[in-house]
Amino acid sequence: MILDNLHSLKFFLPELTLTVGILAVILCDIALKGLRNRLNPLLTVFTLVLAAYYTLQLNNVASASLFHGMLAIDGFAQFFKLLLLLAAVLVVLASLHSAELASVHQGEFFALLLAVTLGMVLLANSTNLAMLYLSLELVSLTSYIMVGYLKTDRLSNEASLKYILFGAVSTGSMLYGLSLIYGMTGSLNLYTIRDAFLSQGVEGVNQFTILLVLVLTMAGFGFKTAAVPFHFWCPDVYAGAPTPVTAFLSVAPKAAGFAVLVRFFFSGMSQTSGSQWAMIGGINWPLVLIGISVLTMTLGNVAALTQNNLKRMLAYSSIAHAGYILMGSVVLTGDGIKSILVYLFVYLFMNLGAFLVVTIIYNSDKTFEIDDYNGMFKRSPFVAVAMAIFMLSLIGIPPFSGFMGKLYVFGSVIDKGLYWFAAIGALNAAVAAFYYMRVLKAMLIEDGSGATAPLQVSFLNQALLVALLLPNVLLIVFWNPIDRWTAASVQLFGGV
Amino acid sequence: MSVFDVLFCIVALVTVGSAAIVVLSRSLIYSAFALLFTFFGVAIVYVFLGADFLAATQVLIYVGGILILLLFGVMLTHRLYNLNLKTETFQLIPGMLIAMAVFTSLALAATQTRWKLVPEKSLEPTTEAIGKLFMGEYLLPFEMASILLLVALIGAAMLVRRRSDA
Amino acid sequence: MIALQHYLLLSAALFSLGIFGVLTRKNAVNVLMGIELILNSANINLIAFSRYSSHGLDGQMFAVFVIVVAAAEVAVALAIVLTMYRLLKTVSLDRADTLRR
Repeated sequence: MILDNLHSLKFFLPELTLTVGILAVILCDIALKGLRNRLNPLLTVFTLVLAAYYTLQLNNVASASLFHGMLAIDGFAQFFKLLLLLAAVLVVLASLHSAELASVHQGEFFALLLAVTLGMVLLANSTNLAMLYLSLELVSLTSYIMVGYLKTDRLSNEASLKYILFGAVSTGSMLYGLSLIYGMTGSLNLYTIRDAFLSQGVEGVNQFTILLVLVLTMAGFGFKTAAVPFHFWCPDVYAGAPTPVTAFLSVAPKAAGFAVLVRFFFSGMSQTSGSQWAMIGGINWPLVLIGISVLTMTLGNVAALTQNNLKRMLAYSSIAHAGYILMGSVVLTGDGIKSILVYLFVYLFMNLGAFLVVTIIYNSDKTFEIDDYNGMFKRSPFVAVAMAIFMLSLIGIPPFSGFMGKLYVFGSVIDKGLYWFAAIGALNAAVAAFYYMRVLKAMLIEDGSGATAPLQVSFLNQALLVALLLPNVLLIVFWNPIDRWTAASVQLFGGV
Repeated sequence: MSVFDVLFCIVALVTVGSAAIVVLSRSLIYSAFALLFTFFGVAIVYVFLGADFLAATQVLIYVGGILILLLFGVMLTHRLYNLNLKTETFQLIPGMLIAMAVFTSLALAATQTRWKLVPEKSLEPTTEAIGKLFMGEYLLPFEMASILLLVALIGAAMLVRRRSDA
Repeated sequence: MIALQHYLLLSAALFSLGIFGVLTRKNAVNVLMGIELILNSANINLIAFSRYSSHGLDGQMFAVFVIVVAAAEVAVALAIVLTMYRLLKTVSLDRADTLRR
């Protein structure tokens, strides 16, 4: 059912909370000059938790389309709302004791973080091309600002310049593609677009144009998820941005980008036959996605092998992980979507954990080079072991939760019979083990050449490390609820 | 060929010509002023399409806002004593090839596709209809656009302000 | 007779020129001008389709939002460019390459 503005409001409480939160943080930053450094993070975390509470209240509501077809409320949207709010809370907490951000005024940072979260939540729910573009730009613009937050740091500024120029071209190209879709179907609503395509058939519109449109819109989605060939911004931006911002970018906008990719292609551009989707226009889109996925995985893994800067290495590693996630989108079934959700969920904890360790080590040593991580085990066994667990989880070794992510993704591909594709994925994971192990080797086995003083880790950071370690280690034991939750979330309004 | 067709040809030529000057000129100031003509040309194209409110918005915001911002950007990022506002380029030939390839594929798509066509509508003023849509169907994007502008404003101001505040 | 295709060819020309500008210009403000050309070409598309392909004014509404976003984007981009100028005293993109190691 399509709801009008007034009736949609009660389903819109999480986003309204975020909006009020943005305004509250800004006002608090201006008005309360004394308390603001302590109050801003509290306000931010409170807003995010309240928004998560309202989201949970919406859990068993029937699927609906809000605001005259702008947003959708369904299981898929609920999953991403919770995932993105969780990511934001963890990043806020991780940014509190970060040496990079301590040198600049932080009031706007929290307002920007809330704004990015609002944009991502809207992006994951959008069912109208105008809303999609607007929320994508909200996420992008705030990300550009957050990356350049350290305005006296040359690397941060260079990263944000590259990010904004590349991003503006990608989203501009995507906009051109969206306008062509509007011309072919006469509507901006995803469901009307799909119905128009289905009723016209392939000979109704030119197949070449549909291919062109897909390439152009993939420019925007590939940019957000850092898939090849739109990944060029990724290493430089991740290396130059403040580490909490990098951690956030590697997890949350990527997840939102995958959400909108799935919703756009599954609800807007494909037809259902049984429980399978087939792309309209008869284009062998799965083959194209396989190509992009293989290129992304391979490029990410191979490039990471030669990196000495840990942030750049993690940037290439996150490009490779985007390749694995794309494997789930190839199969065009409900199982494929479920594998994407599972992977994004476990990826959140392991990637944030790795970046948190990078932040902790930077706080005392002021370095990001892997060679400077030598002998970390003697200085702080806790941090070294934590990093080891995160690295092993990223490789995908059982019993850590990263293994479950890869299991689901490879499993969905094997179910479809694409054995060679799964083999390429497994080969990539094996290659990836080399560079993750390099970090492990440096921390655990090598002898430190520099400082030997024990690592100073604040209590908040220690608590956060534990909070991020627990899901990595324990989820495999309590796996059933996760499986049920993601299976229930494969529910797209009007799409499944 | 009626008067309108001739006028449209002239406007299109001016727009594309000035856009070419924007990307090909060696002087940054010439590029900025050619961009002015491009924006005005686009506004006239909007009038041809019956979008009167949008044509006015285009002039107000693009010419009156964005172009002024770009000119400020040009003037503030050069040492004022050295008004040698020349720009260099890299890799002209690959860029030209890619641009030609892009144009060919887009032109092919534009002419060969069977676009959805509706019966011809009369030209009517659009401002009232747009206003009603903003308060009706497009209320949510309208409000979110205001959040976007607020955040962009705060971010840009924060990046540029000089005083260091702990 | 002006048909839909003429508007689309015009926007295709603007889009290609914008891409050319983004790929070949060294000055950051010049690249921004190329991006504005791309956004304007998409806007022409939207409004042309709004007149020829749809019953309502959806394309024009979308175009208004694109103009809003373009304005915000230019503001943020120029803020970043100005910050770069303060740090490096230049806005030439071939100088902004310390990250590529």
